[in-house]
Amino acid sequence: MAEKSILYDATRCTACRGCQVACKQWNENNEEWKTGQAKLTTNWGSYENPPDLSPQTWLKLKFIEVDRGGKLDWLFTRQACMHCTDAACVKVCPTGSLYRHELGFVSYDKSICSGCGYCVDFCPFKVPRSTRNVVTGIAKADKCTLCTTPALDRLAAGQEPACVKTCPPKALVYGDRAQLLAQGKTRVEELRNKGYSSAYLYGDKELGGLHVMYVLNDSPEVYGLPANPELPAAAVAWKDVMQPLGWAIAGLAGLGLVLNYVMARKAKIENGELAKK
Amino acid sequence: MVRMIERYRSRTRFLHWTNLCAFMLLLLTGMVLFVPPLWGVAAQGSWTRLFHRVGAVVFIAGPLIFAVVNWRATLESVKEAFNWGPDDIGWLKAAPRYYFLNDERAMPPQEHMNTGQKMWWLIVLFTGVVFGVSGGLMWIGKTTLPSGVLQWSVFAHDVAYIVVLPMFFVHIYLSVLHPLMTGVWRSMLADGKVPAEYVKSHHARWYARISGKQAESE
Repeated sequence: MAEKSILYDATRCTACRGCQVACKQWNENNEEWKTGQAKLTTNWGSYENPPDLSPQTWLKLKFIEVDRGGKLDWLFTRQACMHCTDAACVKVCPTGSLYRHELGFVSYDKSICSGCGYCVDFCPFKVPRSTRNVVTGIAKADKCTLCTTPALDRLAAGQEPACVKTCPPKALVYGDRAQLLAQGKTRVEELRNKGYSSAYLYGDKELGGLHVMYVLNDSPEVYGLPANPELPAAAVAWKDVMQPLGWAIAGLAGLGLVLNYVMARKAKIENGELAKK
Repeated sequence: MVRMIERYRSRTRFLHWTNLCAFMLLLLTGMVLFVPPLWGVAAQGSWTRLFHRVGAVVFIAGPLIFAVVNWRATLESVKEAFNWGPDDIGWLKAAPRYYFLNDERAMPPQEHMNTGQKMWWLIVLFTGVVFGVSGGLMWIGKTTLPSGVLQWSVFAHDVAYIVVLPMFFVHIYLSVLHPLMTGVWRSMLADGKVPAEYVKSHHARWYARISGKQAESE
C-alpha cells in the first residue's frame, strides 16, 4: 500500500489550536488538570498551553518569537509524533507495542506496553511521554498514533486524522506521501521566490523520511526542530551491535560446554583416574 | 572417616543462595529484552518490571549488608579476586588440557580460589557494580536524568547481562555437571565442607597455608 503522510504548512497555520482540541476529543484524552500528572496550567507569558506534551496531550501548538532586527516574527509550529521511518522508539520497544503501521506511521498498542520508558529516553524529538510511579516503576507510555488507536481508528474507517479534519486554513493535509512531498517542495520553492531564502521542507530525508512533513519559512532550528535528527548512537550500539553479539557469545558458550562435556567424559572413561602429576 | 575442610561458612553460603534467587528473578524478568514473545503477556501492566525491582533490592541489599557485618572477610575476599601471580598464568595454560582431557599434570598449585574461580568472582563483582549503578540510575533518575545518561545506562546494563550470563552457565556447569567435579557442590550446598584430599589436590597452596590451623581446631 502506498505510504501516507501528513503535510503541515507552518506558513498557513494560524495557531487556532483546533487540531490540539480535536486530538484530545477524538482520542478521549483528559484535560491536564484532571490527570493528576501535571500541575494546573499557569500563564507563563505565551499562548502556548499546556506548556508541554504529556500522556494526555499528544499534539500541541508551539509559539516561537523571533527577533529579526527589532521586528518581531511570531512563528507557529506543531509538536507531535513525527512518525519516522527509522523510528528509534520502534527499535528500542521490547514488547512490540510500538510498531510500524502498513501506511508508514508509528502505531501504538497501549495494551501490551510494559512501561519501560525506553521510547521516552530514545526519541530524537522527545515525543513519547509516560505516566510513571517512580518507586514501583509501573508506567504506560502514550503518543500520537495518527488516529490508528484500536477502536478509535479513523484511518481504517476511511477518515483522515482528527487534527487534519479540523484544520480551518488547511495547513494540515493528509494523503499519499509521494504526492505531499511534491506539494511541499513546490510550496518551499514558492516561499523562496517570495524572499524566504531559508524556507525548508522538513521530513523529506530526516530519519529515513518522516510521515509528518513540515513546510517551514526558516531553518528547522528556528522552529526548535533538530537540524539533523538521528537514531541515538546508544540505540544502534545496543540493538544492532550488542544484542546480536550477545546471542553469538551465548551460543558459543553453550556449544563449548557441550563439547567440553563430551570430551571430558570420554577422557574420564578412557583414563579412569585423573592423569596425576 | 574422611577428613573434611570447611570451604564456605554458613553465612557465605546463605548469601550465595539468596543472591542466586534474586539473580534468577532478575535474569528471567530481564529476559523480556532478548526474547519478547516469551514474556510479552507478563510484561503487560509492568509486572516483569515490578518483580525486577523486587529482585534488585535483594540483589543489592544482600551483599551490602553482608559486607557491613563481615567487613574483614569481605575485604579479604575482594583482595583475593585481584591477587594474581605467575601460577595464574600457568593455570590458564594448563586449564584446557585439564578440563577437556582430564590431565592435571601441568596444573600449578592453587590458593583458596583457583584462577578460574577468581575470574568468575571478578566478573560477579564487576557486573554487580555495573548492574547496580546503571539500574539505580534508570530506577531513580528515569524522569529527571538527561536522556543520554538513561540511554547508555540501558546499554551498560545489557553489556553486563551479556558478560555475566554465559559465565553464569559455565559456573553452574563446572560446579555441578563437569565429569571431573564430583562433590564440589557440597562446598556451597550441604555443610560447606569438602574432603581434605580434594583441597590437597585442587588447592595445594591453600591447604599448605591452613593445614596448621586445621590441626589445631580438630
